[in-house]
Order: sequence, then structure tokens, then C-alpha cells
Amino acid sequence: MTVTIANAVWQGLVILFGGALLGMIYKGFDRKLAAQMQGRIGPPIRQPFYDVVKLMVKENIVPDHAVGWLYNLMPLLSLAAVGTLLFYIPLGGYGPLLGGYGDLILILYLLAVPSLAMVVGGFAAGSPFATIGAQREMVMMMAYEFPLAITFLSIAWRLSVILPGQPIFSLTTLAANPLWGLVGPMGFIGLLLLFLALLVVTPAELAKIPFDIPEAETEIAGGLMAEYSGRNLAMFYLGDAIKMVAMASLMVALFFPYGLANLFGVAGVWGTLIDVAFFLVKVFVVIFVAVITVRVGFARLKIGQVTRMFWLPVTGVSLLGMLLLTLDRFV
Amino acid sequence: MILGTLFKQLFSKPATNPFPVKHMPRSVTAVLQKVAMGQAEIHPPVPTPKDLRGKIGYDRDKCIGCGLCARVCPASVIELYKPEGEEKNKIRMYVARCTFCAQCVDACPVGALWTTENFLLADADRFSENLIVD
Amino acid sequence: MNNQSINLEIGSNTACYSVPVGPVHPALKEPIRFQFDLDGEQIVGVDIKPGFAHRGIEYMGMRRNLIQTLYLSERICGICSISHPLAFTQAVENAAGIEVPPRAQYIRTVIGELERIHSHLLWAGVGAHELGFDTLLHLVWNVREKSMDLLEQLTGNRVDYAIPIFGGVRRDIPEEKVPLAYEALDHYKRALQQLIDAFLHDKSVELRTRRVGVLTYDQAVALCAAGPTTRASGVKKDVRVDMPYLAYADMDLHAITPEDYGTEPIGDVFDNIIVRLLEVGQAVEIIEFCLENLPEGPLSSIPKVPALLAALKKASGEGIGRHEAPRGECFHYVRLEEGVEEMAVWKVKAPTYSNLMAWVPKFLGDEIADVPIIAASIDPCMCCMDRVHLVDKSGSESVRAKTELVRLSREKTRRICG
Repeated sequence: MTVTIANAVWQGLVILFGGALLGMIYKGFDRKLAAQMQGRIGPPIRQPFYDVVKLMVKENIVPDHAVGWLYNLMPLLSLAAVGTLLFYIPLGGYGPLLGGYGDLILILYLLAVPSLAMVVGGFAAGSPFATIGAQREMVMMMAYEFPLAITFLSIAWRLSVILPGQPIFSLTTLAANPLWGLVGPMGFIGLLLLFLALLVVTPAELAKIPFDIPEAETEIAGGLMAEYSGRNLAMFYLGDAIKMVAMASLMVALFFPYGLANLFGVAGVWGTLIDVAFFLVKVFVVIFVAVITVRVGFARLKIGQVTRMFWLPVTGVSLLGMLLLTLDRFV
Repeated sequence: MILGTLFKQLFSKPATNPFPVKHMPRSVTAVLQKVAMGQAEIHPPVPTPKDLRGKIGYDRDKCIGCGLCARVCPASVIELYKPEGEEKNKIRMYVARCTFCAQCVDACPVGALWTTENFLLADADRFSENLIVD
Repeated sequence: MNNQSINLEIGSNTACYSVPVGPVHPALKEPIRFQFDLDGEQIVGVDIKPGFAHRGIEYMGMRRNLIQTLYLSERICGICSISHPLAFTQAVENAAGIEVPPRAQYIRTVIGELERIHSHLLWAGVGAHELGFDTLLHLVWNVREKSMDLLEQLTGNRVDYAIPIFGGVRRDIPEEKVPLAYEALDHYKRALQQLIDAFLHDKSVELRTRRVGVLTYDQAVALCAAGPTTRASGVKKDVRVDMPYLAYADMDLHAITPEDYGTEPIGDVFDNIIVRLLEVGQAVEIIEFCLENLPEGPLSSIPKVPALLAALKKASGEGIGRHEAPRGECFHYVRLEEGVEEMAVWKVKAPTYSNLMAWVPKFLGDEIADVPIIAASIDPCMCCMDRVHLVDKSGSESVRAKTELVRLSREKTRRICG
């Protein structure tokens, strides 16, 4: 899809700001609903906005033992990577902005960059707590990347068999052809297993309880984030919010890209609005199930337990899903 | 699992009593001024029992100036002094130091001291009127 | 006594780096300093430095008259706030020969057990928070609110109840308040099963606490640990059972160990949770017994304050008082001199003091991720405990070895006994 530069720039800005805004609103919902589930009142939904504004105003401290330029570069890198991620994911019922220039493989790499930025930032901070947190994040990445990759590849491969000749890793194609209706019953179950595996990977990707061990508050006083403050922390915070939106949108694009407007035969402005609203609701449901409920319902797991959990049961489930999808082709 | 409790609590009233207001207002002093003028309401606190250990009440006329209360007070709250033109000693209590143990209430032989239910004693000035009893 | 030595190696050759935890750290509710020597994630050495909450309470207490000191002792700790007055009044009554009427003893027991309920539920919530499970924290603390409300109804304050006085208690539990108490107890009987489900049947809590922070039976006995910490290892040690006092003498109590839940005691954090939750159930039964059998009679043997002050001034001798606080045995020693209002000597041994050394075998071999929950598992109360900061007259600090400590404590005992 050819895009003029000016068009692309202004659309890109809209996506970036929209993504940040949405991210913070969803974060607000996350805190409010988690509080309600715990029997408390919780902060107002606009609290993350207050948080970011407050952080931007606070002093940005660079510790004496830190590698200065790395320490200050990493938050910027994380935010940039996560923002770029948004350009390759279909949002609001539209195709991805840079759909012709990057696909699922690029997204897989881009998802890893913010976590790597946090790891490097943690090591660059020069504090024992940050070092421990960075080590844990590295180990956790090695754990959850495997099922993530298996899920993406299985879905893309299966679609390539059904639609030969099309660019199957492209998010546009994936979003336009949800697999649920295109496979038989065995494939359906396989796809369901892959969906469950991805649901478990999502809180790990976002470093939320039960997998928030790199940032464990009570154990290592904030872990990787222990030394960050002020503007740097605001950038990491924003990056975390946008990553939540990006990951949830990815899930929606891969598994539930359906639009409502077509169903009801509404077109034009109203159709667009209905589609966008439906997209927001879908993203919210994914965040509710994968992040909020899970965050409130479990204790934090240790790093050994996290790796064992991902390498054995979760990889097993995703491999089984892949197997079922493969077998479905021959049935 | 705990999931059932979580969902039940999602749809029921929170356990917190939102005293005085639900969320932090822009300006606390503005809200307090409005309340003083009767224009705004604050959520009341959880009801307290009648014999709550609140601020100590003092009846100056009953007091005979024996000083027993000052002897047993653990926090040196009570100051015994002789007012001008009176024959008996009287006391002054500095509530900012008080631990509300009410031992002075038990010690008083004539019942000039008693506990009240007043516990809203937060103040910026240790010697404000609310925090001196005499 | 068993002379078996415990291998408490501090420091090791395989350590890569050392991580300080404390005195200010989100894992700790009260200041204490740990220095962990780590090999990757595993702890191979631990050093403990207490002394950050030392406030000189014994010094202050020995310069006030006994009634003032009673309220000072109450504020040694906010959570075990009636354990210290109970032990202190026992010590003074022991020294001065003051009797306590039966009704007062029963009322003291009721308030003491209510405090045990609130303290154990507080600990359970804090333990859940250390595990990252904030939902359980809020759930348990919401359940705990009922006991705080009941304490406020009965004593007039949620913390620091100011109930014991030398010779009896200060407030009665009148007839109209008894139904409130029964209502709260029913609430706890229902809630206890919910809490046991939430803590003991939850998979993620079990993953984090089973076989973590193990204190074996022999270690617990040799280190003289006290309270639920030692009962979780299977040692049946409880002051209420071994040396009954107050209303416990009329009851048929037994020390609660994980065997009461049906499991073999290992001494890990999970066993600590079991013991503390079951003790809440036991406390409910004790309160019910006391309320049903509350004897009639006076509230205090010396109700008038001037008479009490005179009796205390005339008293002389030494006395000890013990109470099974929620954390273990709380011990007070008092020596009174005739004609002097202040005490000659006051020594407080808080329960956490006995449990401090139990930390070392618990930490060794576990991961740094287990540090918060193991630190919380002995239910540390630093404000009760801090008494051992050793600073030489010249101002230099040193860590003394066991033989020297024994020699120093023997010298002090001889000084105290005159």
C-alpha cells in the first residue's frame, strides 16, 4: 500500500498519541478494576495521567556508578520501539499503517526490544538490585519467547497452506482471514490451545504478576526500575502502557479481527465509529482476562518456577496446538 | 480458587469507608472551607462507641487541684498551676502529647475528668485552641 | 541441655556478590539490616544487624513511677500491645504480692486472645503482600477489621487498649457488650474456613511457601525459638500450656502444631501459616469459654489510685511475668525497692529476640526471591526486640562471639541480682 510521506507522518502521529492515550486509559481501568476486585475504592481512571505528569516534573537522577549515556538512552529506545510497534499492528479495524513494510517477524523482534532496553538499562544502573532484576528479565525472556514464536509461526504456516501465494506473515492478510472459520474441528482445538498459550505469555511479556519478577517490589525494591526516576521513569511507564495496548491489539488481530460494521451492514462514518468502538472493547476484554484478573488472582512466582512453567507446560500446549493444526491439514 | 470472591467483590460496594471524600480534591482547604459554610458535605466516619478514648473533658469547677492526674499521666500532659485570685490549683492539658490512656480519668477523686468521643484532632499548631484543655 | 552446635556459617568462598537488605526495604516492615552473600540467586551467607529501633525504653521506664511505666510498656509495640502490659503487671504483682481477682483475669485473657486474632491476621496479610499477592492482603485485613471493631467497643481503642492495671483491669465487659462479642466470634468462625481455603489451598501460595525457609525440630530446640515459629517445626512449646496463668489455668489447652491440620511438621513457611491460622481458631474458642464462664466479682483488688500508688511504693522484691504473645514468650523482670516510686531494674525480653537466630538456618540455601517471605515468617517485631546494640564505651562497635556473650550476661545477672 503506497503511502505519501505527509499522510504517513500525520497518521503516525495520530496513532502514537492515540496509543499513548489509550494505554493510559486502559492502565487507569486496570488499577480501578483491580482495586474493586480487592474490595477497595482505587484511584480515579485518570490517575496514570497524573502519574506521568508528576514523573516528568521530578528530578532525573543518574547514579554515580551508572553508565550515563546507556542509562539515559534506554528509556528512549524502549519508548521508540514500542511506538514503532504500533505502526505494524492493525488498529481500530484499519490495516496497519506500515503494513507493506513490515510483518509478523518484525513484530516478534520489536516486541523483544523494549524488554532488552530494560535489561541493558538495569545493568547500566550499577545497583545490585537492578542487576538482579536485569538478570531475571533476561532469563524470563528466554522462557516466554519460545511459545510466542511457536504460536506465531503455526498460525502463519497454517494460513499459508490455505491461501498459497499470499504474503502470509503480513498482518493485513492475517487480520483479513481469521483462521477459526477456515480449519476443521481438530484445527479449531489446536487454535484454541495456541490462544491459551498466548494468553499466558501476555502477562509475562508485560511483566505483570504472576510474572513480574524482574520488577518485584517487595523483593528487590523495584528491580530493574529501582534507580530510574523522573523523565526516564515516565518514558518507561508510557512504554509499558503502550506495550499493553500493542500486545492486546496483536492478540485481537490474530484471533478476533472481526468487525461489527459489516455484520450490521452499516457503512460510512457510523460504520467506522462502530468498528473502532468494537475494537476498543475487544482490546479491553483481552486486557481484562490476561492482565487484570490474573494480576489480582495469583502470587508472584520465582524465576525458577517461571522458566519451568514456560518451558514445560506452556511450550507443551503450544506444540500440541501446532501439531493439531498440522494434522488438520491432512484431515 | 479465589476467582469467585474476586468477581463477587467486583460488583459489590467497596469495604472502604470514604471518609471524608472519595478522591483527593484539587485543594483540601477549599473543600474544608465549603464544609464549614455548609455548602458541601463530607462522608461521616465509621461510628464510634460511646466510651471511645477520645479527647479528655475537664470540669474546672469540680477540680480540687490534688494533682493526682498529673502524677499518673505517662506523657506529662497535665500541668498543675495556681490561677491568679483562686485558692485551689487547676490543671491545663496539652492534648498534642496525650496518649488517651484515660488514667487521669481513673485517678481523679471528684470526677472532674471524663473521656469524650472527639478524635478529629489533627492540627498544624500544637498549641491551638482545640488542643489545649483547661 | 543438648550441646549440639548448629552450623551457622556466615560468609562463604563461593559468593559472587553481596546484597544488603535493609534497614529500609520494601520487604521489611521494620528496620533491620541483612547482608546476604549470594551465588547467583542462592543465598550462601547471611549476617544480621539489629538495633535500629532501639529507643531506650528500659531507661525511660526506670525513671517513671510504675503506673506511668505501664503505659510506656504498652507502647513498646503496637501489634503485641497488650502482651507487654500483661507480662509487666504480672511481674509487678509478683514482686509486690498483689492479688488479681478472677473476673479481671478472665477479662485480661479475653483481650489478650482478641489481640492474638488481630496480630495473626495482620501477619497473614503481610505475608501475602511479601509474596506479591495483594488481594489476600486486602481480604485478610478486611476480615481483621471485625476484631479491631470489637476491641474498640470493649476497650475504647483499636490499638493500645490500656486495660490491665496493677491488681486487675480498668474496664469491665458489661452484659450489653457480650452479644457484640459473640457476633464477632461467629464472623470469625465463618471467615476462618474462607481464609484457610484462600491461603492453604491456593496453588501459587503453596509454590512459594512449601519447603522454603525450613527450620528443623532440632534447630528450633537448640536455638530456643519461641512461639508459632517453633511450633511450626513441631516443638510443643507454649507458655499458656507449660506454665498456665490467668484464665488459661482453667482451660484444657494444647500447643498447636501442623499435626493439628493433618500434615507432618517440616518447619517451612507453609507450616507457619498453618499454625497461625489454626491459632486464630483456638483464640476464638478461648474467648467463648471466657465469656461463658466469666466469674462475678470486683475488677481490681486495689481500685483507688492513691492506694495503689502507696502499695507500689511500699513494695520491694523481684518478680517475673510471662505471657504467650502472638510471637512467642514475652518476659519481663522487675525489681522494686521499698520507699522508691521508680523501679530499680526493668528488663524486657521480647519474643522476637528468641526468634532472631532462627533466621540464619532459614535463609541459608534459599533464593533471594524468598527473602521477604522468610523474613516475615518468624513474624518479626523489631520494636519489641531491639535491645542488643553493642557499642563500646570508646564508641567502637564490635560483634561478640558466643562465649563472650555468655560471660557478659552472667556478669550482668550478678549485677542485677545485687
